[in-house]
Amino acid sequence: MPGTDSSVPFIRVTGLKKSFGAQKTLQGVDLDICHGETLVLIGPSGEGKSVLLKHIIGLLHPDEGRVELDGVNLCSMTERQLLIARQRMGYLFQNAALFGSLTVAENVAFPLKEAGLRDQKQIADRVHEALDLVELSAHKDKMPVNLSGGMRKRAGIARAIVTRPECILYDEPTAGLDPVVTDVIDHMIQRMQKRFRVTSVVITHDMSSVFRIADRVVMLKNGVVSFNGTPGELRASPEPEIQNFIAGRSGLIA
Amino acid sequence: MSVLVEMLALPGRSFLNFLSYLGQLGRLVADLAHSIFRGRLRILQMAEQIVGIGYGSQAVVVVTGAFTGAVFTAQSYFKFKDFGIETTIGGIVSVSLCRELAPVLAGLMVTGRVGAAMAAEIGTMKVNEEIDALRVMGVHPVDYLVQPRFFAMMISMPLLIAESIVFGLAASALVSSLAFHIPFTWFWTHVVDHTNHTDLIFGMTKGFFFGILIVLISCHQGLTAANGAVGVGLGTTRAVVFSSLALLVVNFFLTMLLNYFFPLGTAL
Ligand SMILES: Nc1ncnc2c1ncn2[C@@H]1O[C@H](COP(=O)(O)OP(=O)(O)O)[C@@H](O)[C@H]1O
Ligand SMILES: [Mg+2]
Repeated sequence: MPGTDSSVPFIRVTGLKKSFGAQKTLQGVDLDICHGETLVLIGPSGEGKSVLLKHIIGLLHPDEGRVELDGVNLCSMTERQLLIARQRMGYLFQNAALFGSLTVAENVAFPLKEAGLRDQKQIADRVHEALDLVELSAHKDKMPVNLSGGMRKRAGIARAIVTRPECILYDEPTAGLDPVVTDVIDHMIQRMQKRFRVTSVVITHDMSSVFRIADRVVMLKNGVVSFNGTPGELRASPEPEIQNFIAGRSGLIA
Repeated sequence: MSVLVEMLALPGRSFLNFLSYLGQLGRLVADLAHSIFRGRLRILQMAEQIVGIGYGSQAVVVVTGAFTGAVFTAQSYFKFKDFGIETTIGGIVSVSLCRELAPVLAGLMVTGRVGAAMAAEIGTMKVNEEIDALRVMGVHPVDYLVQPRFFAMMISMPLLIAESIVFGLAASALVSSLAFHIPFTWFWTHVVDHTNHTDLIFGMTKGFFFGILIVLISCHQGLTAANGAVGVGLGTTRAVVFSSLALLVVNFFLTMLLNYFFPLGTAL
């Protein structure tokens, strides 16, 4: 694995349980994420992948278990302490969650300004650079409502990476994108890893993306980690469920 | 039996819900206090809110004040003329406007306009995960959304109330001279005789507290919105209803309290 520089994992999830009412979404998830690795999270829809990602950044509080960032338990922090811890991370929401009252460029500039950057020229350069990476520079002055789903997603990615965080969590970055732009985003994720040793956690349903970018693949099923290994191991897995998932077969017979 | 239990449980549950609601408002106040005393002030956003809330609400409070003043003048005249004391109208109108009518009616109007806008705007952000997006980027939603609105309301409301009083008095003067032929000098003499600057402070102080009430209740409804558009609608309705009711209740206690500091003049 490139860039693994300590024995303590960057992010460690232990025994994570979370229910919404009667629905048990996460039922004891254990997961280590190392510095500099790209971990891809797969699994059926509604299995709690987004919920797991939100726990990793402290947006949700677990019923049981803990999430540690460099050995520090996020679950015992106050919201104000979490705000500081989160500045090391970037997060792409599944629905992008752009600020509806700001233009694309203002959305991307937002985290820079909040991080205390004041130099307007520097802000503009960084925004331009981030939008360029997702091929969205031409639309920087549009309002989010006037963007297509895929464009919104890319604006969300630009906003997540613009502060150059150590760790970026992507919730379905390529859902709704055409194959060419999907490739652009996959390359961008890889480039960030190689150049800045960024740790990435990527939720995706796109199996070709999985094999392109993943150092490690984790499958979430029935609220627990049902597979954890390299893409090669995933491909070689004898489990019919995993093979069906990779091939996109429902198991139904016509 | 179970019906009986149900009947007993209902008020108990409502009471617990009310306590939990107060608890949530208390948390919001604590977060806001932290934001004001330990965080940085967001002057730019505050200025934007003052324009939106203060500047933008003027038409509403001017019309409210003016027609309240006008109608109260008319009703007073109809009665006072029986006793031949119609020229003293200015006194009662100005005192009532300053102490009760302008703060309460303009306050209710601002609740409808501003409280609803706050709850709807913040609630929409909540259901679109924009509030979570703020948190992810290391920004406390209370710092970014509530603090600027809080200061904007604290500053705007007393001024809006004062404006409402001024236009109420102007309308009263117009109606009494044009419709009821009371010479303006008589009208004004009675206004000056019976109204103190403390009466104006009385009304503006009420506006100050009403502003805080509206901000807290409306922002809380926005921040706790759930269930998509329906939830935002519900939160907006609640913001207006809860703020209006709280305003009326708090108004009574403010009157009792403030009258201790600024007693009503003896001359009426
Ligand atoms: N805030 C919430 N309140 C109630 N249920 C939720 C909430 N967030 C997620 N869920 C439920 O948890 C389950 C997992 O959701 P999610 O993590 O979004 O799935 P996915 O794996 O497709 O990302 C879903 O059934 C969803 O309805
Ligand atoms: Mg999801």
